Amino acid sequence: MNRRFHYPILRAPRARHFLTVLLLGALLPSQPILAADANPELIARGQRLFFQETFNGNGRTCGTCHPAENNFTLDAAYIAHLPERHPLFVAEFIPELREGFENPRLMRQFGLIKENLDGFDDLKNRFVMRAVPHTLAMSRSVASPGGPRTGWSGDGAPGDGSLRAFATGAVIQHFTKSLRRVPGVDFRLPTDDELDALEAFTLTLGRQRDPALPLPLKGVAAQRGQSVFLNDKQGKCNLCHRNAGANARFAGADLGNANFDTGVENLTGTPVQQSGEPMPRDDGFGTPGNGQFNTPPLVEAADTAPFFHNNAARTLEDAVAFYNSEAFNNSPAGRALASLDPNGVGIRLNAGQVRDVAAFLRVINVLENMRQSDELLRANVGRPFFELLQSQGSLVRAAKETDDAIRVLSEAGLHGEAVGHLGLSRLYAQLGGFFFFLADPLSRLAMSELESARAQLIVGDRTGKPMANGSVK
Amino acid sequence: MKKILLLVAVLGITPAYAQKATEQFIPIGRSPGLSDAKTRIGQIESFDPGRAILTLSSGSTRTVAEITAQTRIWLDRTSLILPNLRGVPADLRPGRRCEVRFLKPDSREAEWVKVEPAAP
Repeated sequence: MNRRFHYPILRAPRARHFLTVLLLGALLPSQPILAADANPELIARGQRLFFQETFNGNGRTCGTCHPAENNFTLDAAYIAHLPERHPLFVAEFIPELREGFENPRLMRQFGLIKENLDGFDDLKNRFVMRAVPHTLAMSRSVASPGGPRTGWSGDGAPGDGSLRAFATGAVIQHFTKSLRRVPGVDFRLPTDDELDALEAFTLTLGRQRDPALPLPLKGVAAQRGQSVFLNDKQGKCNLCHRNAGANARFAGADLGNANFDTGVENLTGTPVQQSGEPMPRDDGFGTPGNGQFNTPPLVEAADTAPFFHNNAARTLEDAVAFYNSEAFNNSPAGRALASLDPNGVGIRLNAGQVRDVAAFLRVINVLENMRQSDELLRANVGRPFFELLQSQGSLVRAAKETDDAIRVLSEAGLHGEAVGHLGLSRLYAQLGGFFFFLADPLSRLAMSELESARAQLIVGDRTGKPMANGSVK
Repeated sequence: MKKILLLVAVLGITPAYAQKATEQFIPIGRSPGLSDAKTRIGQIESFDPGRAILTLSSGSTRTVAEITAQTRIWLDRTSLILPNLRGVPADLRPGRRCEVRFLKPDSREAEWVKVEPAAP
């Protein structure tokens, strides 16, 4: 990393969090990135509802557990910076929610949320503790030939099970003022119009398409990792995570966003299990469950740790290594892969291959961070003076995306020169967040540094023009 | 090839399944994407416990539903400002308002039934 641009005050977690919170107010009025056929008014309403509407409940909003400033997910490090009276912690200060609503220790230490997927009759014993899945790129992952998939087990929504219906279930489970859960008293249910708006907004978040692999990557580790990832006889990753997304393809048949039993529940000795807190077995999809969980996209994986439905893997490398484990290879999914393998092997990677696959996933995550950052910065170029205040939000978000990219590469010691350019880009975006009247020149500078960083990672340019091998990002 | 297709069927395409737990707390007529479009709402005309057949009517339309051991019955007490509860077939009494969700579009088997209790 280029040490000239190392600003401890901006890098200290508390200071960064303070700045993020300070500037987040500017984020909300700014327009989200829109899909081509989107209804801007509906999406803007959905955005407002997502971050501000409590549905007359305990004070939580959708954004409480899916905060924009933390990639729409929760982890222990983020939670540690929240104030004591944050609505996430309602079980700690609303007496009616003290017993049976959440497990504050598992929430604070592991980012786990209580769900009563098998019913609300026995709150003490019938529950599961689940991670918060990010809501990015859902337009690419919610559809399945078997029907819509929401939540960690793909069956998170009541009603017709659609993404649109999801908010209704979330309000009942997470927003209630008391465990009686009386509509009109403990919360109000979203109206049809509100459900439409929330769905429209959610579908605009993150990528609107999957990358087309293979990408012409420059880093040797990422190149090797991509080869392992795409090799259906070695890494076999691309079978269930086609193009590093959330959709499966076997034997030429598209399965869409599929559910699998990969044996994560059979992992033993995880930090969560060692906490001593009650953790009933999570049986996944359906009631009673069939042990299956939904496939998440991988492009966003590296900056949304920890991993799996119960946050069992702390790092990306741990998550990749899981597929070498007995828990996976003895699972229905592992055995199925083994049955197709001439040597009867499910997945068996050496330590270097695990690191390489993780390096590949880190690089594609960073390319997505940079795409989003570039898109946010580009919106400020040539913006009329009277709209400059809106630049503040997009510059803060661009800085955050670039910050994620820096962290994702730095954690694994990858692409030091790119990290230097990203550090500069982040600095320009952060400055633009303060001096928004200079949004245009600072955005241009930040974009230029992004381009330089990109040139270290991949052959091709930000526009998605065909690359050397004809693929399009 | 057959083996692969079998694996695909077993592993990947589990039919969609909406969450039933929170459905308990959604009042009659408010289930998103279902109420009116894919459920039947009406007054209970009769319930035959022996044959487990529920008949409800709405205007001139009469609907018959089969209650099985798997059918979830919920008491919708929202109008009484009380929590909704799990119900039993004995709660399916004539005159009460109810909503039925069928297991499949062409099936008489009820997946769930919400029924309003009599006013206190």
